[in-house]
Amino acid sequence: MTQPVNRYCLIMLLLLIWGPGCQKDEETTRSTITVSIQHKVNQAPLALANTSYTNALGQPFTVTAFKYYLSNFTFTRADGSRVRINGQYYFVDEAVPESKKLTIANVPFGDYTGMSFTIGVDSIRNVSGAQTGALDPLSGMFWSWNSGYIMAKFEGTSKVSTAADTSLVFHVGGFKGEYNSLQTVALNTGSFKVPDNTHIALTADVATWFNTPNPISFITINKVHTPGIDGYKFSQNYSNMFTSVAVSE
Amino acid sequence: MIRKFIYIVCIFFLVWACRKSDQGGSAPVPYTLQLPDYFPATVYDMSQNPLTREGIALGRRLFYDPRLSRDSTVSCGFCHQQFAAFSHYDHPLSHGVGNNTGTRTVPGLFNLIYQKDFMWDGGVNNLEIQPLTPLTDPNEMGEDLQNVINKIQSNAQYRGMYKAAFGTTEVTTQRTFRALAQFMATMNSFESKYDSIMRKVQGVAFTTEEASGYATFQAKCASCHKEPLFTDGSFRSNGLPYNPALNDVGRMRITNSTGDYLKFKVPSLRNILRSQPYMHDGRFYDIFRVFEHYNKGVEAGANPDPLVKSGIPLSAKEQRELYFFFMTLTDMNFINNKEISEILIED
Repeated sequence: MTQPVNRYCLIMLLLLIWGPGCQKDEETTRSTITVSIQHKVNQAPLALANTSYTNALGQPFTVTAFKYYLSNFTFTRADGSRVRINGQYYFVDEAVPESKKLTIANVPFGDYTGMSFTIGVDSIRNVSGAQTGALDPLSGMFWSWNSGYIMAKFEGTSKVSTAADTSLVFHVGGFKGEYNSLQTVALNTGSFKVPDNTHIALTADVATWFNTPNPISFITINKVHTPGIDGYKFSQNYSNMFTSVAVSE
Repeated sequence: MIRKFIYIVCIFFLVWACRKSDQGGSAPVPYTLQLPDYFPATVYDMSQNPLTREGIALGRRLFYDPRLSRDSTVSCGFCHQQFAAFSHYDHPLSHGVGNNTGTRTVPGLFNLIYQKDFMWDGGVNNLEIQPLTPLTDPNEMGEDLQNVINKIQSNAQYRGMYKAAFGTTEVTTQRTFRALAQFMATMNSFESKYDSIMRKVQGVAFTTEEASGYATFQAKCASCHKEPLFTDGSFRSNGLPYNPALNDVGRMRITNSTGDYLKFKVPSLRNILRSQPYMHDGRFYDIFRVFEHYNKGVEAGANPDPLVKSGIPLSAKEQRELYFFFMTLTDMNFINNKEISEILIED
């Protein structure tokens, strides 16, 4: 009986020595990266409200709201290995300029060639109860009747929309089953070194939502607000919306 | 003895070394639930939201505060009445602000920490998220979430209670919902006569009629209304004819699967004689109407579960005995529990 007790004491003493090491000691080998996103429509800067754009079918539309979640940023090292940054979620809203500048903390120093991320909120956070910060349901990006995040939201108008108010409302979500709307985007950023280069500029083109691989006609689809095949089609389309423009200091 | 002392000192230093630096105010007092050992494991993850006296007290106040609704008329407790095991007694469909009426009956609230899915169609996947639905549904409390948070934040009594429960006066969605979850986690019903018998309490036994009713229950009801929670938590159609006026397709709305047409969550039979009317839409005021439905009312076109497809023959004698057995599922200690009863909110 005495033997195990001694062993526990030894372990505890060792832990005691390490205990003060609970403070972070990695600031010197990790850096913060900023990712700035510019929203466009068919290459032109996005303007909310009255500016009219056209989809691939030549149908006109305006944009009144454009919002989405990004998460699970992963950076590819020059040797092919990947560094995934967990637990950081971003709510991007065209109407809130500062939301288009993402701060990604704790990226290890090193040489990188690319990055990937998820459009949406991973399934675990959809089932884990009340969340805070970017994931607070206050953002209006959470379905109360069918628990889960709205991964991305487009709202606008089109005179060809058959909705009574000619509106377009596309709320894309759903994190399980065959129409899981979570999309991973991989971008070739070119080579960059952390901490020398810590700013990545992206563009996201709203028009991609309606073009490929699933051309969207506003005559047949003007409303999505449940998980399902229509939302899934939008997610397939918008997985093409991002382009990496530049990496700089 | 000395070894033990070293051990304790080591743990103390470890905790000290890893402690958070802000230590303002006194810590809330932990609360341990006493749960029966013949119940299954709980589903709600309380390790992420440890119950405390202060958290539960805050949740209770939120639960009974009508100001959380759009026009300050409807609290959670408005529809969830303790004397009816937290269902809405005598109301077939849920009521809300502005005389609005919903499309389903108010379910009783108890043993929620054992539930995996919430709402009749299972659309809500976590106890913490559940309050969002009634708070924001225009037919229930009809309020905007930001307004709810603002109203709470502007009240001094609440600010003090948030500080006591969570360390600061800041009101957030997560804190609000977690406090409500803590209170709901204390709403457990396991002190009926049936429970005394399961616990082999001396001198407690079924009467002859109750025992016959229990046997009928076990033979004909227990595969869906599984003991000891008296539900298996599954979604099934019990063959109730579709009501076009309500146009409620049940779980199909959540899964988009036609196989889930008219399926609803199997409700618990605990406190059942306290929570009429019955069925997801409250169409039966009397439990004997329910028995009759199973006896010969199951409709083939309503996607009935294989277990009820051919009906469940229940003779008049069996029905009466079932009624007596159901009486043993009424938990007066729960219904009269002062720890969860309505509080008057005056500030």
